Amino acid sequence: MDTQVIGHRTPRVDGENKLTGRADYTTDWYVDNMLHGYPVPASISHGTLEALDIEPVLAMPGVVAVYHHGNFPKLYRSPSSQAHQDQVSEVRLPFEDERIHYDGQYVAMVVAERYEQARAAAHALQARYHQDSGARPGLLETREDGRPLESEGGLRGDPDSAYERAPVKIDHVYAIAPESHMQMEMHATLAQWRDDRLIVHESTQGVVYQHKAMARIFDMPEEKVEVISHYIGSGFGNKLFMWPHAVATAAAARELGRPVKTVLSRQQDMASGGNRPASRQRLRLAADEQGRLLSMRHDSTTETSFVHPYVDSVGTPTLNLYACDNAAISHHLLEVNHGTPCPMRAPGEVSGIYALECAMDELAIALDMDPLELRRRNYSYEDPTKGLPWSSKHLDTCYDSAARRFGWERRDPRVGSMREGDEILGWGMATSSWTAGRQPCMARVELRADGTVMAACGTQDIGTGTYTVVAQTVAELTGVPLDRVEVRLGESSLPAGPLSGGSMATATTLPAVAAAVRAAIDELKEVATDEDAPFTGADPDGLAFRDGALADEQGKRVAFDDLLSGQKLGSVSGDGQAAPGDEQNQYSFRSFGAHFVEVRWDPGISRLCVSRVVSSIDIGRAVNPVTARNQVEGAIVMGIGMGLFEKLDYDPRDARLINNNYSDYIVTSHADMPEIDVELLDNPDYAFNEFGARGVGEIGLTGIAPAIANAIYHATGKRIRDLPITIEKLMEP
Amino acid sequence: MEPSETSAQADETVTVNLFVNGEPRQLQVTSNVVLLDALRDELHLTGTKKGCDHGQCGACTVHVEGKAINSCLRLAVMCEGQHITTVEGLARNGELHPVQRAFLDHDAYQCGYCTPGQMMSAAALLEDDRIAADDASVREAMSGNICRCGAYKNILEAVQDARQVMVSGTEGRS
Repeated sequence: MDTQVIGHRTPRVDGENKLTGRADYTTDWYVDNMLHGYPVPASISHGTLEALDIEPVLAMPGVVAVYHHGNFPKLYRSPSSQAHQDQVSEVRLPFEDERIHYDGQYVAMVVAERYEQARAAAHALQARYHQDSGARPGLLETREDGRPLESEGGLRGDPDSAYERAPVKIDHVYAIAPESHMQMEMHATLAQWRDDRLIVHESTQGVVYQHKAMARIFDMPEEKVEVISHYIGSGFGNKLFMWPHAVATAAAARELGRPVKTVLSRQQDMASGGNRPASRQRLRLAADEQGRLLSMRHDSTTETSFVHPYVDSVGTPTLNLYACDNAAISHHLLEVNHGTPCPMRAPGEVSGIYALECAMDELAIALDMDPLELRRRNYSYEDPTKGLPWSSKHLDTCYDSAARRFGWERRDPRVGSMREGDEILGWGMATSSWTAGRQPCMARVELRADGTVMAACGTQDIGTGTYTVVAQTVAELTGVPLDRVEVRLGESSLPAGPLSGGSMATATTLPAVAAAVRAAIDELKEVATDEDAPFTGADPDGLAFRDGALADEQGKRVAFDDLLSGQKLGSVSGDGQAAPGDEQNQYSFRSFGAHFVEVRWDPGISRLCVSRVVSSIDIGRAVNPVTARNQVEGAIVMGIGMGLFEKLDYDPRDARLINNNYSDYIVTSHADMPEIDVELLDNPDYAFNEFGARGVGEIGLTGIAPAIANAIYHATGKRIRDLPITIEKLMEP
Repeated sequence: MEPSETSAQADETVTVNLFVNGEPRQLQVTSNVVLLDALRDELHLTGTKKGCDHGQCGACTVHVEGKAINSCLRLAVMCEGQHITTVEGLARNGELHPVQRAFLDHDAYQCGYCTPGQMMSAAALLEDDRIAADDASVREAMSGNICRCGAYKNILEAVQDARQVMVSGTEGRS
């Protein structure tokens, strides 16, 4: 499709709001008579709350109430069904009983007139606990393996006997420490009850999900609940599904008859607002002497909390990344006394691809083969799990292009062989991949007599650029310039849209918006052909809508705003919906890419850095090349953190979180930035949707950590299989 | 517990006079109110963001007497009589500051939450003779501002682009 706006560089339509301080994030909302909530976290990870010394705290200035197990109103658990869109992060309600399952679990919530008063009272509240022995530390601190999950398994062929017969094989265990999302805006809720209606401002990646979950928990008709999230200080997965602070805040607001706002502290956010769970993964790969994979086995264990069985599906990439007739994955889940994990950017697959792509590097070394060549020899031309062709796979182009720009042919494979001054260079690569998903979606579009067009959808923009790509879609299909397009997102009262997750928002939302545009234009044509209208008596199907005007075949042309004004109409609107269809039975949809990484290791002063990343990623059509590229570059930055820095440290003795702040939990800073060269292939995937877009949020993160690990091996000869690869691990003899 | 937080004085307020974005403002706050919370809760200047409350992330960066500081590490009462600029005061007469313009042009953000702090640090470093103009110096100087979305590459381009605009603007005036 020949486009004017879609696929072209477009500055964010919400940019000025973000740059001037006008963007209304949840934390920025202040309403009359508002109180401040402040949760009180447990200081043990395993035991029972025995007593809370409430009275002195109630006497403190400004304190209005303290909610806890003894006085919290009775509510209902959400069924937490993904199919019914009422999934929550923790099924357990806040203060449901006196059991403590993790450090930071809320034991009470103080509500006070002012923020400082709530904070002081929460800090002052004395709790007495019975601490049980045997708090289970993190997965990587124990040898326990948990319970098997049959539903997470997968098998084709006979990988065990193929492994036994194969001439070249590797068998290694990889581990990833738990990570924190560290989204800049902490979880926050402002809840207000107006008559019998509940209005919630929440920093969420899913207004629709939270809306339905709130309705279930408070046993209310859905139409009486509204959830609003205009701007979100990002989420990376931990704002997909509602957490207990929101329930506690809404309940307090109802009990007190006043609005309550709760903003978690960074410490609470890290302890009780989600994390990427630790994983331990055993990879067994076998190949013939030419490097053709004969057998793949991927046996994984991930951890979860005792209150919610979150499963991070790490094994799936092993079933579909390469062509191999014999493959199997298995999964165990271990409960530990840590806060509940949840999806974190490229959940499951980024962890699995880390282990698989390190194992492929080790197999290449065992074969004495270039690691890129090994991947080419096992290229999958169809989805091995479904037997369907890929809709549009250009991974070979990604390999070629990124390798050329990186200079891969100059790589000397010998360990430590590439030097520059005091530094040893390491070059590594890995494949990148993320599934392409799409959900049903609804949208509404209004053509207005003032010459503007409004598009509305109950999805939200977490910083990925959804406002902008929706505006581009409207501008493309109407010819109305972007500055006359208004986009409304982030309200559950709008036509139901998708979660901002799974890299699905663009491919899900834009087809529904397009359908709504067409419905609105059809409505305009009906108006235009009414009696006493500019095209009275004409066949509506003979009229065309171009550049903001209706035109007939004789060349008569009337702008839509003039037409509406002339007919004394303020607007016409159209509702649209779209959903995946039969294409799902014809193709398998997935994005692929390749990362090439250079690290520099100075053994004299033990200095390690990532100095260069060259990537080629095929995401189908990039609806907005500016925001899409930003997604991949940002994911590379996060991947450097995953590879080198990020680890939630829990005390193995009592399972309490140690590094619950932004200086002890290390993320990539500006000074850590390498030279980054990202190429987005532009191959629209029209089998997937009319815009050819597959989504871009997660894929960039997959493959970065293994490319770094492989580069570090190339530089140092040390195969560190446990992330993060800290300098200390390289200094060990 | 902190004795000061439970004593009777904890509820007593102090008058603080500030000049915020050029306007005189008078606050009645308790002595434990942090400048960041005063700007947001009292003045409803919510462009300045809280990301950690511990001086670790830089989202709350404002200018006090022309210097970029973490507003979460300063009590409001310490700022008596001082001039404070927040992101709301960066644009002049409806014209975006060159740093704001450059952030828009270079897509130097994603979620936008750290962005006010990034821009306040950038605006300060561009006026600071101690910080050299090369990329590595700018990266180092901007490292007190975390961007978890990872838009650092575009932030660097934006800062250097704003530098060009500000330099040519100065030349134009002289």
